Amino acid sequence: MRRTEIVSTNTGTTGTTFTRWFGLLAVVALALVAVFGLVLSPPDVVQGESVRILYLHVGTVWVAYLAFVVTAVSSAAYLWKRSSSLTWDRVAGASAEIGVLYMGVTLLTGALWGRLSWGTFWVWDARVTTTAFMFITYIGYLAVRGLGGSHRQRARRSAVVALLAVLEIPLVHFSVELWRSVHQDASVAGRTTDVTLDGLMLFTLLLSTVAFTLVYVWFVLHRQRVLAMEDALDDRGLDYALIERRREGAMR
Amino acid sequence: MDDLGFILLSYIATFGSTAVLAWRVLHRGRALGGQLPDDDKPWV
Repeated sequence: MRRTEIVSTNTGTTGTTFTRWFGLLAVVALALVAVFGLVLSPPDVVQGESVRILYLHVGTVWVAYLAFVVTAVSSAAYLWKRSSSLTWDRVAGASAEIGVLYMGVTLLTGALWGRLSWGTFWVWDARVTTTAFMFITYIGYLAVRGLGGSHRQRARRSAVVALLAVLEIPLVHFSVELWRSVHQDASVAGRTTDVTLDGLMLFTLLLSTVAFTLVYVWFVLHRQRVLAMEDALDDRGLDYALIERRREGAMR
Repeated sequence: MDDLGFILLSYIATFGSTAVLAWRVLHRGRALGGQLPDDDKPWV
């Protein structure tokens, strides 16, 4: 009876007017990345046409880093006060999912670019290997989130994993300086770089980071709402089970 | 010209995976939204 009532009062999804406009902005930005990346930007004097892959590679790895930092900050915020809202935990989980997606895309685009530039899809290079290790670590983080227990137990144990996993970011970032590496150093914001980028190439690179950041924010907004609904449904499922058990007990 | 296939594949994989995840998130949101009252959806 109560279940029927609940179903009949539902409206809406995870979207709002704001997220719809935001999503549209993100789609337009991604379309511009494709136009500038594939058509309008010039080929590189050294890398030739393969530089077009780097517009995606840099944009997606930036978002993956951002996502994992947000996961760590949200996890710390949750652990700071045990009574904290589970929203922190859901933002952490949603952010990590997007981070894993774009870290995977980074590895794929890196492999394709590597085939053109280095002649091979994969090398056991410090940057490439530590990036793959970080990718696997965050898949592990998502697996930990999927273990059983209450929402608070899930939040607590995954927050601890997130705070440990984020320590890999400086390791990955500085791996090209710490060890011998075939991977290039930072082209735009490197400390020792003397690379001059064409204006249109630099613009495309920045456009890509902005576009993927917009996509990331849109994803987190929607995904953490989906996670909130999954938690709510879990709680209600427990309520129904308790009501049923009480009913059974009263009938005996 | 060999480069073109790799370049296009990287764009298709990136935008394609983004589109698939977006569709999955929205679809899951719609499916769950139909099972819960508005009290559980503060953004509505």
